[in-house]
Amino acid sequence: MNRRTLIIRGAAVLLAARARPASAQAAPVLIEMKGSPRGERVAFVPSGVGVAPGTVVRFVNRDAGNSHTATTYHPDILDRPQRIPDAAQPWDSDLLLPEDAFEVTLTVPGVYDFYCVPHEHAGMVGRIVVGTPDDTGWQGPATDPGDLPDAALAAFAAVDVILAQGAVLPPGGDPT
Amino acid sequence: MLRSITSLAAALLLGALPAAAQTAAETAPPEAPFAKVSELVTLPDFLPGLGTLYVDPASLPAGPFLGYDHDGKLSATIYMTPIEDLQDGTAYDDLAVGSNTVTSVDVYYNAGHPGVEKPHVHVVLYHDAEAKARLAE
Ligand SMILES: [Cu+2]
Repeated sequence: MNRRTLIIRGAAVLLAARARPASAQAAPVLIEMKGSPRGERVAFVPSGVGVAPGTVVRFVNRDAGNSHTATTYHPDILDRPQRIPDAAQPWDSDLLLPEDAFEVTLTVPGVYDFYCVPHEHAGMVGRIVVGTPDDTGWQGPATDPGDLPDAALAAFAAVDVILAQGAVLPPGGDPT
Repeated sequence: MLRSITSLAAALLLGALPAAAQTAAETAPPEAPFAKVSELVTLPDFLPGLGTLYVDPASLPAGPFLGYDHDGKLSATIYMTPIEDLQDGTAYDDLAVGSNTVTSVDVYYNAGHPGVEKPHVHVVLYHDAEAKARLAE
C-alpha cells in the first residue's frame, strides 16, 4: 500500500467516524474464521466479543483450505442445547466457503454462544456478549454443559473478560 | 472364448495383486466411483497443500484421496484417518495408491473439515519431487 492510499483510507475512516451519530449503530463487528495452513488449528478470531444491542456481526471465512459455519446453540438448529437469550432468534450461517460472509443483527441483550458445525470438536466456538448485565432483560451465560464436547466448553471466554476487554482471542491465539 | 479367458485371467491376476498395486488416472478426472470432493461436500475446489481432491465415497474417511495439481496432473495420494478410530483399534490396511512412484511422504494432524469432521491424520504421498510445491496454493 502506498502513502496516498493510506491517506485516503485514513480520511475515509475519519469521515465515517464523523458521519456516525453518537448513539447509532456502528459498522459491522468482524469475526473471522481462521485456520493454520494445514488445518491443525481452527478458530473464530476474535472468539469473544462484546457489542452494543443492535450491532451487526459479520462472519467471514478467511481460511483458504476449509469451510466453516457460525451456528447458535439452540434446539431449533440441529437439536442442540439453548445457549442464547430466550427472546433471541437462533441463527446459522450454513457452511461458508473461503471469503464467503454471513451477517446477523443482535438486538436482545445477553450472552450468545455459537460454534462451527464441522469444528466444534476441535474447540471452534465463540461467545458474543450483547449489552451489559445492567440492560433490561439481559440474560447471562448458559451453565448446563449439555451435550457439548469438553473442547468446546473449555474454549468459551468468560463474560467479565469479554466485557472488560471488548474482544478476546481464542485460547490458542490466532491460528494463522 | 479365448478373449473372455484372457480377460478372466487378467482379472484374476489383478485381483491377486495387493491393493497397493492399483493406480489411478494420471490426469484428472479419475473414473467413477471417484468423485470430486468439492462436489460431494462444501469445500473449495482446490485445497492448498492437497490439490483438487477426488475420492470414492465408499472409502471414506480413509480414502485414498487423489490430489491433482492446477493442470490436472496426479500429484499426491492422501489418506485421512480419524485419531479416535485409531485409538479404538481401527486399522486402515491395504489401501490403494494413486501411483507407484512415491518421492516423499508427509504426516500431520488436521482438526477436521466437511467430509472428515473428526480430528484426523493426513498421510500425504507425493508422486514426484515437485508435487508438494505445485499443490501448495
Ligand atoms: Cu470451522
